[in-house]
Amino acid sequence: MVRKHVIRQLSAHYHQELSADENLKIETHLRTCSQCRTAYEEIRLGARLASVLQISSAPETIWTDVPAKPKISRHWRRVGFAALATAAILVAVAVREDFYSGPSWEVTGLRGMSRLHIGETLETDTGSQAQIKIANIGRLVVRPDSRIRLLATQSNQHRIALDRGKIEAQTWSPPRLFVVDTPSASAIDLGCQYILEVQEDGSSLLRVTLGLVALERDGPETIVPAGAFCRTRKGAGPGTPYFEDASAELQAAVTKIDSVNDPGERLRQLQIVIRESHVRDALSLWHLLPRMDTQARGMIYDRLAQLLPPPPEVTRDGILALNPKMLDTWKKVVSQLWQ
Amino acid sequence: MTKPIIDDRTLEACQRGDPEAFRLLFEAHKDRVYSIALCFFDGDEATAKDITQEVFLKLMTFISQFQNRSELSTWLHRIVTNACLDRKRALRRFLSLGEPHERTLPDRRMSLEDKYAQRETEASVRKVIASMKPKLRIAILLKYFDDLSYDEMAAALGCSKGTVASRLNRAHRILARKLSHLRAVAAGE
Repeated sequence: MVRKHVIRQLSAHYHQELSADENLKIETHLRTCSQCRTAYEEIRLGARLASVLQISSAPETIWTDVPAKPKISRHWRRVGFAALATAAILVAVAVREDFYSGPSWEVTGLRGMSRLHIGETLETDTGSQAQIKIANIGRLVVRPDSRIRLLATQSNQHRIALDRGKIEAQTWSPPRLFVVDTPSASAIDLGCQYILEVQEDGSSLLRVTLGLVALERDGPETIVPAGAFCRTRKGAGPGTPYFEDASAELQAAVTKIDSVNDPGERLRQLQIVIRESHVRDALSLWHLLPRMDTQARGMIYDRLAQLLPPPPEVTRDGILALNPKMLDTWKKVVSQLWQ
Repeated sequence: MTKPIIDDRTLEACQRGDPEAFRLLFEAHKDRVYSIALCFFDGDEATAKDITQEVFLKLMTFISQFQNRSELSTWLHRIVTNACLDRKRALRRFLSLGEPHERTLPDRRMSLEDKYAQRETEASVRKVIASMKPKLRIAILLKYFDDLSYDEMAAALGCSKGTVASRLNRAHRILARKLSHLRAVAAGE
């Protein structure tokens, strides 16, 4: 008898992170599979050992270095000089920024350029690359043979254009503060780390290594989570994202769907996507839903419902009609893949 | 483990620059942030202190942009994770592994003998965790110091729930295999 082992789910089972049905399946399996039972004993032992970790008290001296900003603010409020201080700071900043031709980012590694100002272009040749501090929210590596322009840098948004070449971005800011415009879409940082490459024809390839990135161009957002790729094409916007561990056939079929208009061909490629899809490929299926016609959408619904069943209030007809409320409800289930 | 409670009013007060409110926020999270960093860096108190300061400075800088406590909590865990992983990458060239730093474990109400056994077990667990790959290490620390759900961990680590489960699986099995001689001690926990 062929039995599917459950080793990968055993920590989740131990931590009660699975549904009642899944727990029951695992318990049933454990009764008959000595291999999984041994693994479960290891996981229980590992978890019990990890549970002995005790919280350590942070040294009090940490606080003395941290809260300078609130203390200063309170002091000035108390003595009634807040307005005066703010005005003085604003004047000082204005004078300083005017002196340095406006806010800029620090650049290292590139001969002849130490700051990048708004409106300026930074270009690397085949033998150079640059490291840039994205204000105080992250860093950027501009790979060889690339060109970027700084469009904006202020407290509520930092924005560049990537005209060609490759960048690696890493941020530690709240979502949506850092945006990269490419000729075919805008990449909005929802997380931490990604690589973005723009080709000569204006198309681009995004690979997210940590966190999330949203791609936008005149339509709904495409969400690309860690471990996933997404291509964009000039004039067509973001394509369909897929995880890097998806089968080669699925990746090729998704790319084909994004690049052809013939309905018959798109349907043939969709059949490959459906045949090749596993649970993580729900990412691709979900993004294909609104991009296909009703017949194809029905096929996507059926497969997606097998992989990640929708809540009871979500109906097949509702999804085929792209009912926004039902899409939102189901998305809460599907988006667990990237949250 | 009980999670600290920071209500929306405290968060709003922090966003207005109220130093008392920020102190409350700091008190609520500092020990967990410090503990994660301390264990991640194998007992290196100076680095753990630096990481904790870095995390709270960033938190203070961006506090005005959070809509609710849940968003703040997710972001805080993500910042801790990134700070540890970034520092690890930066120090890789300079640090040699296998030289654990001395540290003092907190006192608890136990007999001297129990206390000694507990300290020995915990020291062994910390040592094994410090030898794990950074991604496994941070996963197990977020789970056991902050008692995060898999959803919360996935958000902090920027990966799927499945990846969280897989990393914890591997970390648990490494602990079990390297510390199998402590089976009897662990059973008594």
